[in-house]
Amino acid sequence: MSVIEVENLKYRYPDTTTLVLDDLSFSVEKGECLGIVGENTAGKSTLCYALAGLVPHFYKGAYGGKVTVNGLVVREHEIATIVENIGLVFENPFSQMTGAKQTVYGEVAFGLENMGLPRKNMHTRIEKYLKLLDVYSVKDKNPFDLSGGQMQRVAIASVLAMEPEVLILDEPTSQLDPQGSKDVFKVIEQLTGKGMTIILVEHKMEQIAQYADRVLLLHEGKQIDLDTPEKIFSRLDLKEFGVRPPVVTSIAQALTIRYPDTQLYPVTIQEFKRLEEMK
Amino acid sequence: MNTMTLYVERNSPIHRLDPLVKLLYVAASILLTYILPEPLYIGGILFVTFLLLIIGKVFRNSLPIVTLSMFLIFSLVIVQGFFHPDNVTELFAIGPLVFYEEGLYVALVLVMRVLVMVGAFSLLILTTATDEMVERLIKKGMSPKIGHVILSVLQLIPQMRATMVKITDAQRSRGVETEGDLLTRVKAFFPLIGPVVLNSLNETKERSIALEMRGFDSPMKKTFLNEAKQYPHNKLIAGLITGIVILGIVWRVFG
Repeated sequence: MSVIEVENLKYRYPDTTTLVLDDLSFSVEKGECLGIVGENTAGKSTLCYALAGLVPHFYKGAYGGKVTVNGLVVREHEIATIVENIGLVFENPFSQMTGAKQTVYGEVAFGLENMGLPRKNMHTRIEKYLKLLDVYSVKDKNPFDLSGGQMQRVAIASVLAMEPEVLILDEPTSQLDPQGSKDVFKVIEQLTGKGMTIILVEHKMEQIAQYADRVLLLHEGKQIDLDTPEKIFSRLDLKEFGVRPPVVTSIAQALTIRYPDTQLYPVTIQEFKRLEEMK
Repeated sequence: MNTMTLYVERNSPIHRLDPLVKLLYVAASILLTYILPEPLYIGGILFVTFLLLIIGKVFRNSLPIVTLSMFLIFSLVIVQGFFHPDNVTELFAIGPLVFYEEGLYVALVLVMRVLVMVGAFSLLILTTATDEMVERLIKKGMSPKIGHVILSVLQLIPQMRATMVKITDAQRSRGVETEGDLLTRVKAFFPLIGPVVLNSLNETKERSIALEMRGFDSPMKKTFLNEAKQYPHNKLIAGLITGIVILGIVWRVFG
């Protein structure tokens, strides 16, 4: 069952002449993890905004086509309605703290207060997601006193507490140190394991290869390809789109280690090892 | 990272007061400086305000805010002392410029008013958690959007301070001299302005997106995590402040 359906999506920001999203059509199935890759200016973040309803409600401009999230046509519904179905976490953890609350606990509660959730249910949800994201121990701290990694996990907890059907992570680790990144990816691993529908924009291709079921390759707003990580990262013209395959895939290409049936290259170390042993 | 608030956590009776009562005090103290425009009365209000800052254990924290207003205070004294239209009695002269007693008196009243305003607002901001104040106002029926505007204004100074520290560190690591004598500091300050303003604007935009993604514009009736807090002696203190303002008006009209 498709949770997201994008049909011929076109978009251009106000006062510009170039299409940032140029005729995109794809769907995302329930429980799927879709990776989005492409160089800077490929339109990855704008696509995330379009899925979350920020385009065209927050960012105006020329909009064409149709985006449906959980049966709701994004263009026809307010952001407040859409966010009950889709959550967005972006790269800067600092600016995702609303500043409306003095504690991490209150920060997670903020979205639930806006949704009008009864107080009793609020406590249950907050505790559940603070524990899931491993930030329960800092629940009484001021969100701005946390490390970048902790702040990003609080941002994810705050969005997840609203229990959306889909979670969009737009380069969630690009401003974090290695440990912070590792902690966030641990959470992504947990969420994919639980069958959450995730859209992951990331420049670390190893992580895309690890978690994504399918990968959407964008270039200058155009949809170049949508396929499995193995097929996308085995493309010989990948570098033309400003994307480099995972290191392990490059090594496999150099050593011509491939899947015997499909002739594709492995994208994870585990698969690489398995194929090497078979060879 | 600096905490994005000017609130100073202390255990004091002022901290335990209802934010609305503190807001009432801000309004009343400013109003009284206009109802009773004599330096003696304004001095009295200023004394009470500073006393409350001391009781609230935030007097020292209010000094940087008072220092910030010094530029305005000096400007007031200079402009009024030299150029007030009612100036007659000469106090001293610097070359062709004469400083007058009447202007000094007007400046004194204005300076004391500014200090009352700064002191009263410091009392409110330094002893009240911003979320508590905004939540209290929203519960009283104020629009959450206006609440957020108030919150954003209160966060502006700490936000810019945090950004400034970040950018200063970045510039210092690239070899820009940011410490030393006054001239070096002034020279280092100007290249900061552009990045700080742009960064703050960008962060404000991103924070608006974050708010949207938390259903800030939801048409649903808002609920609150915290139960309504009980403030002891709330009505008594509010009544007392209102009574003093009424007394001031009566004094001014019939006195």
